[in-house]
Amino acid sequence: MNRLPDLSPDKSPLTLVEVIYSTTIREVMSTDPITVERNTPMSTVQQLMRDQGISGLPVAEQGRLFGIVSVQDLIEALQQGKLNVAVSNCMTERVVTLEEDMPLSMAISTFSKYRFGRFPVLNAAQRLTGIISVRDINVTLVNRLLQQVSKFESMFDSEVTPGIELNRVFHTRQHDFENGGKASTTIKKHLVDHHVDRSLVKRVAIASYELEMNQVVHSIGGTISYRITPEAVEILVQDRGPGIENVDQALTEGFTTANEWIKSLGFGAGLGLPNAKRVSDIFFIHSEPGVGTTVKAVVYLQPKKEEKHETE
Amino acid sequence: MTFADLIPTLHATVFVSGSEMETRPVQHVIASDLMSDVLVAHLDDFVLVTSLASDQMIRTADLVGATGVILVNDKHPPAGLTRLAKDLDIPLLGTALTKFAACLAIGKALEKGTPV
Amino acid sequence: MKLSEMATHANWASLQPEFVDSEVEAAYTSDLLSDVMANAHDADVLITIQAHNNTIAVASLAGIKGIVICNDRSIPEDMLASAAKEKIAIFRTSQNQFQTSQTVANALDA
Repeated sequence: MNRLPDLSPDKSPLTLVEVIYSTTIREVMSTDPITVERNTPMSTVQQLMRDQGISGLPVAEQGRLFGIVSVQDLIEALQQGKLNVAVSNCMTERVVTLEEDMPLSMAISTFSKYRFGRFPVLNAAQRLTGIISVRDINVTLVNRLLQQVSKFESMFDSEVTPGIELNRVFHTRQHDFENGGKASTTIKKHLVDHHVDRSLVKRVAIASYELEMNQVVHSIGGTISYRITPEAVEILVQDRGPGIENVDQALTEGFTTANEWIKSLGFGAGLGLPNAKRVSDIFFIHSEPGVGTTVKAVVYLQPKKEEKHETE
Repeated sequence: MTFADLIPTLHATVFVSGSEMETRPVQHVIASDLMSDVLVAHLDDFVLVTSLASDQMIRTADLVGATGVILVNDKHPPAGLTRLAKDLDIPLLGTALTKFAACLAIGKALEKGTPV
Repeated sequence: MKLSEMATHANWASLQPEFVDSEVEAAYTSDLLSDVMANAHDADVLITIQAHNNTIAVASLAGIKGIVICNDRSIPEDMLASAAKEKIAIFRTSQNQFQTSQTVANALDA
């Protein structure tokens, strides 16, 4: 559980590499670590470890590090009946340490090299200022990546130009009928505001709405992404499951797995997917039971030279 | 015929009067309570006659470009629904007639009315 | 007007031959079964697109003797079987609910 994945630069995505090189250990470590002194009895170490739920304690006095005492050291002391002896007799003296100003990448490679669960961190004056564990690193990485992701998302959202171009992502939740349809309504309004022909707007709106409600009714939730250019509206719908057992069947008019209360809302007649396909110029669906369903639907806003609809 | 012409025909209550109520033509009628049924209809310039007073009904009407919505059976829309109709600029009427009777009344009005 | 006469007049396909050919006075147009249960009368013919077994149960409770399924919706086998048991007529038309409502009114006027 406490193993870090291989985060070497040549194997990791660029964003992740940036995070682990631009973050210093100081930003990640736990400060003011609990420490013991050299003459502290091992019985106190046992109590601290139990009460604080920690498995390693630096041995330090006025910031100077003398060693580290681990659960392993405590177990040995217990076995030998040496709970009353001083920490200095049981601790590990040759301690691998890290420094505050090192990049996080150094900590990661140190963790990979040694099998210790934590390392003391020293400042430039070689004084103990913190301790770093795998958990600290994991928490920081997850938080930084979340920040990056929301930064990317807001970049997409803010790409609203006076023109028709638009990139937007909406989220849906299972059975959230109150908000179901908001994405489609927003997109429809955008197209109307940019004077797109009424019949084209209607086709986009129907494809979008059918797919959006499908996600609300059948999936456990997901996203709907729109990419609008002067040439086309591309709708990409991705959910997190449960997936469709038989896609051909789901594309057959009248086939439905919706329950009665969903039908009482006027949905679930088994017309959604076939209808979305009917109004789209390009329609692609891929589904994997237990994984999820992806649908891509495109409606051209400009007449295409090769009309593929003619042959259907 | 416009959507506003239907008000006297149906002795209707106006819950929301959209900005295009007196200008957009009405040529067809869809009388349905199943939104999926409305979404497959190949018609334009239609009014939606329904007994379903839900947000989804108004959203569906907006997305398919309905001229307006008529609630039958004397149903009164909840406040949230009226607000949504206003936001989406969809005219919303209510009538005490059943859907069958409303269809007949609108059908007669369409026959008489000048086709647009 | 009898159900069978109306079907002939309206040019509906009759899908279930074993029905009680009762008198029709009006129609009820709805796709919400709860609404049908609450508001339809027994001399009404039901105009709907709800091609579902539950529609038969509701029609039976409301005393409705004939159902017209619009938009050429396909009718499931279990619905036909239930209708046969309840002696309820099922017709089908390519018209939508609005058009079918006009057709019924015209037939009743004829």
